[in-house]
Amino acid sequence: MQNLYIAPTSSTPEVNFQFDRHQLSLRGESYPENAHAFFGPIMQAIQAYLPTLHSTQVTVDVQLAYFNSSSTKVLLELFGLFNDAAVAGNYVTLNWHYIEDDETILEFGQEVADDFTALDFHPCALVE
Amino acid sequence: MPLDSTPQPAHTATMAGHLLQTPPTVSPSDNNYHVMELFSQDESLANIPVVEQQRAVGIINRNTFMSTLARPFHREIFGRKPCTAFMNASPLIVDYLTPITELSFMALEADRKVLSDGFLINLDNHYAGMGQGVSLMQALADQQAEKHRQMMESINYASVIQQSFLQSSRRDMASTLDDYFMVWAPRDIVGGDYYYFVKRPDGFFVAVIDCTGHGVPGAFMTLIMASTLKQVLSSHDLHNPAALLRAINQQVKQSLGQLTPEEAGLADHPELNSDDGMDGAFCWFDNASRTLTYASAKTPLFVLQPGKDEVDTLDGNKKGVGYVGTPLDYHWDNHQVHLPVGSRLYISTDGIIDQIGGPKRICFGKKRLKENILKHAGKPMQQQQKLLIDAFLKWQGDNSRRDDVSLFGVHLA
Repeated sequence: MQNLYIAPTSSTPEVNFQFDRHQLSLRGESYPENAHAFFGPIMQAIQAYLPTLHSTQVTVDVQLAYFNSSSTKVLLELFGLFNDAAVAGNYVTLNWHYIEDDETILEFGQEVADDFTALDFHPCALVE
Repeated sequence: MPLDSTPQPAHTATMAGHLLQTPPTVSPSDNNYHVMELFSQDESLANIPVVEQQRAVGIINRNTFMSTLARPFHREIFGRKPCTAFMNASPLIVDYLTPITELSFMALEADRKVLSDGFLINLDNHYAGMGQGVSLMQALADQQAEKHRQMMESINYASVIQQSFLQSSRRDMASTLDDYFMVWAPRDIVGGDYYYFVKRPDGFFVAVIDCTGHGVPGAFMTLIMASTLKQVLSSHDLHNPAALLRAINQQVKQSLGQLTPEEAGLADHPELNSDDGMDGAFCWFDNASRTLTYASAKTPLFVLQPGKDEVDTLDGNKKGVGYVGTPLDYHWDNHQVHLPVGSRLYISTDGIIDQIGGPKRICFGKKRLKENILKHAGKPMQQQQKLLIDAFLKWQGDNSRRDDVSLFGVHLA
């Protein structure tokens, strides 16, 4: 299926889903007024992609400095889908990038790891 | 009343015809000496329409014309030739009634040179006059300013309504607490943060709430939550905050139709439109026992006990209230903490904690909030409010505000 790239804006992250290489990344900030409108096509792409996998290693890189509450809900849904894919026999690595000292973002990542135990979670501190 | 039906003030142009000017015109057979004479007679004349038998043909732009004619021998060669030689032969020609917005899109189409040359205006398919590019810009700027003014008026008045919902809480707070502050700072004049305070003979109830969204949709949610809270308080005991959260969850899920297909009793997936709700902390303080009973949906409380040198974070449940993903029968937990004389209690929505700023552009975070609380703990609460908000604004720096900000603080004497 076709790769998905969406350039970042001040209130939406860069989306770079290289489905052919099984490397997906989200970088930037996410606080669109209508998170469902922004994430709808992204969720659809993921929902189309995941069922095609069989014992596949997928790497997800997330580096988000800020996300509002509606984005948070969509992100959790997204991680839920990845978790389901991992339970179904794939290997999903979640690299959680955060700027060193940003405890709020690290804490959120750890909650994701606690909630979605099938994900291979790696916190990655970015030292400037 | 919808914004668009508001009558336009007379000075704002809404159609091409409102920009109509009638400069001197020339006919295609007039020569360039004649055109030059017209431009020399009137220094302010930027464009001359070329009209033939009431039919718009072209536009001669002063700068294009003068600079071309200034070239060596051009005046001698072209002086007596027809003026169509240097005319823009494909100008934008619009009807008198063309709306300004439509006109602006037409002007932006390629190769039209509308900003410099202007555009010709027809009435009943006959030449009526012309409009200048700068007038169109002015009309668009006026229209923009007018729309902005109407929107801000509307939002400012919405803010009056939203704040009236906070009045009784403000009154009760002021008459119950001696040393406290309540910061309520929506990002966009109105917002999704809300607080509720009520006093009773045996204590007080306080709730700090962060509804989904900010701005106008956030403010809608606060009104839904406020009325739901009011309803729930009429039938539930406010000494039991967890039960209140549970009841609000049920009401909101049902009234907004935010049920899972199983909860709604539907076999197939219905179209889910909204998934909105709130986070928040609900607290009951009992005067006699000095016990705070609290239940929280993703909103931490911060407590500084007298004589302690550390601020405690009191976390609640990790589920928000009313969302599709929160089960209809979800139970929040009540927790209790003893607050001896001199204790300080703070409740913040995530607006402060998640604000990006500082040298690394990262979240303000709970740790920094707690450090600042501790640093200023000995001071009166009104003074603390200023110091905490100053620290927050300093952290924010030139980053834009990301969310609504609410912060409640009380020194329990």
